Amino acid sequence: MIYKGILMLGWFYLIFGIIGIYRFSDLYSRLLTSSKIDTVAVLTIIIGLIAKLGFQKPVIKLILTLVFILLTNPVTNHVIARSAYMSGVPIKRNDVL
Amino acid sequence: MFLEITMLILVVAMLFATNRLIRGPYLWDRLMALNLISIKSLTLLIVYAVYRERYILLDVTLAYAIAGFLVVTLISRFLIRGGRVK
Repeated sequence: MIYKGILMLGWFYLIFGIIGIYRFSDLYSRLLTSSKIDTVAVLTIIIGLIAKLGFQKPVIKLILTLVFILLTNPVTNHVIARSAYMSGVPIKRNDVL
Repeated sequence: MFLEITMLILVVAMLFATNRLIRGPYLWDRLMALNLISIKSLTLLIVYAVYRERYILLDVTLAYAIAGFLVVTLISRFLIRGGRVK
């Protein structure tokens, strides 16, 4: 079945998200990883569940949740980064990674 | 089988995010970890609803998504002015 492959891709994104939170040493780098990898992981898992269910009635609610997460999760991380920058958290220059 | 492994990895990821929430150096690290835990518990609820075939939980998922977004956004707006109440 095709949904198993999509779910396994979602597992890899989740594991990379965990590694990225602990690997970087700067706040803004961690926010970058959190914004990209975890949004993609959640979207991949929901697309895999849609591919599992097929054409049924609850797929509409899944698509609604997918669009909502796709709109709001990068906005949330941008609001956190803006709050940190306006409150004076320093940006680390010459970060070797 | 695949849905069970997905739920297990989600719970482990939530544990690591909880560790970041406890020992984050800045306050915004803790806010980021709160956002991660919110999104991952939302995904866990979706996977559980499909796993048990109880589709009434998907409505709860939408309400939970809106609540998590509002919580993180309002705390960030509150922390811009240094946490003071005007």
